[in-house]
Amino acid sequence: MSMLKVQGLTAGYGPVQVLQGIDLEVGEGELVVMLGANGAGKTTTMRAISGLIGRSGMVEMEGHNITRWSPDHIVRAGIAQVPQGRGTFPELSVEDNLLAGAYVRHGGDGIREDMDKWFEVFPRLAERRQQRAGSLSGGEQQMLAIARALMSRPKLLLCDEPSLGLAPLITQELFAVLGRLNREDGLSVLLVEQNANLAMHIASRVYLLETGTIVASGSSEELSADDSIRKAYLGF
Amino acid sequence: MDLFLQRVIDGISQGSVYALIALGLVIIYRGTGHLNFAQGEMALFSTYCVYQFGEWGIPIWIALFLGMGVGFAIGALAEVTLVRPISKKSPFAVFVVTLGLFRLLNWLDGAIWGNQQLPNSGVGSKQKTFPDLFPAEPDDQFKFLGANIRWERVGVLVLVLVIGLLLYLLFNHTKFGLAMRAVASNSESAKLTGIRTHVVLMVSWGLAAAIGAVGGVVMGGLNNTVNLGLMFGIFIYGSAAATLGGFDSPGGAVVGGMAIGLIENLTSGYFSFIGQEMKLGVALLVIVGVLLFKPSGLFGTAKVERV
Repeated sequence: MSMLKVQGLTAGYGPVQVLQGIDLEVGEGELVVMLGANGAGKTTTMRAISGLIGRSGMVEMEGHNITRWSPDHIVRAGIAQVPQGRGTFPELSVEDNLLAGAYVRHGGDGIREDMDKWFEVFPRLAERRQQRAGSLSGGEQQMLAIARALMSRPKLLLCDEPSLGLAPLITQELFAVLGRLNREDGLSVLLVEQNANLAMHIASRVYLLETGTIVASGSSEELSADDSIRKAYLGF
Repeated sequence: MDLFLQRVIDGISQGSVYALIALGLVIIYRGTGHLNFAQGEMALFSTYCVYQFGEWGIPIWIALFLGMGVGFAIGALAEVTLVRPISKKSPFAVFVVTLGLFRLLNWLDGAIWGNQQLPNSGVGSKQKTFPDLFPAEPDDQFKFLGANIRWERVGVLVLVLVIGLLLYLLFNHTKFGLAMRAVASNSESAKLTGIRTHVVLMVSWGLAAAIGAVGGVVMGGLNNTVNLGLMFGIFIYGSAAATLGGFDSPGGAVVGGMAIGLIENLTSGYFSFIGQEMKLGVALLVIVGVLLFKPSGLFGTAKVERV
């Protein structure tokens, strides 16, 4: 059974329909990348899956139809999203951000342990645990946003352009962590990116999104072997 | 010296009522970014209810809690039925809606309880004065360093400090408080962590109105009466207190309220030409002065964002 299955998903803002019926699937323990240019509908896809905007079509999580579920139910079902930009609480301390991430968990069991675990993965957050999130650098805020999402112990992580505005080295570091979480902890990941090279490196499958439609899909090897795709997205 | 001390105590005590209205304004502002013009009138409706409970023979402290319950219900209802549907369309419309709610509640008070001062023992009120939370007979006072301090004043001050402390604990040491702070900081990210933001906002409005109800009851007790105009001035002072404190800081609201009470009481006490008419003007001047040097208020968070 697949972790996430999306069929004929349409969504938009007011009269503007951005997604024209999208099909995609993320298998259990799989890391899937969705590539697309600005305005292709990547963020809209993510927001529609998380239930932040009105949507129609079908979204299935582990076989449950979650199309009509509210965002907080969807988080409880095991989907955590790292939104585009800095999805943190700037006025809250780093620790409070992580505690908020664990909001859907019942009782306090294991929350401190999880926090320590992510402090180990992102040591720079540990040094700044009492600082306000808004005072962190862009890269640190992105790490915090990912750690915050992981605090809910999700089965599926949606990551919306984590590389946006980050230095190449920081981006590499982040992607290495995502790849490790996927391989070692079996976390399913749907990663939205413009940074095709790095993303395809850690992904097993790739979808190409253009103006609200999936125009190509396949394994990373297949797509990077396709000449037209390579020229458009990989630049060589 | 004794007169000074008395004026300080009276001023802080008076200011603590402003602090209660300011606290309500701050809680709503943090949640939704709206200035609730109906804050004072929501409190007034609850205050009338507390008067009514008194007529029915219910002891004042029980009546106070019932009144807070009424306030909570009005606030929560207003958020769900008026503010939420309209704020989706336009944030400016909410401004008008809270003004409308101000008029509506004041009209409702008048329609139910009439436009006279209550209690009006000549016309069938059982109570002689508005019920007092604290001993308020003429000789309920004590000497402290030569000053005559009224128990009523001390009681109000302690009550407000206790409410402030409870709010502090709620905000900083409970899961729901964390959710309130998260919604105030970034409402979309709050949704993505599974926080039911609509519940948080509904409770915030309810809480604000319940705290306002305490302010109204205290005000009624100090003035010995409740009437349709009871909260007009208090609302202005409360807004000024919230502004001085920084509008997003509950602690700031308390300090701001007490500071304004202190300023108005000392200036009108020592400078007879300022008197009752001008004292609000002096308080507002001081606020403008503070904001010139600290634009985000005494305790407000200056918006800083690193990218």
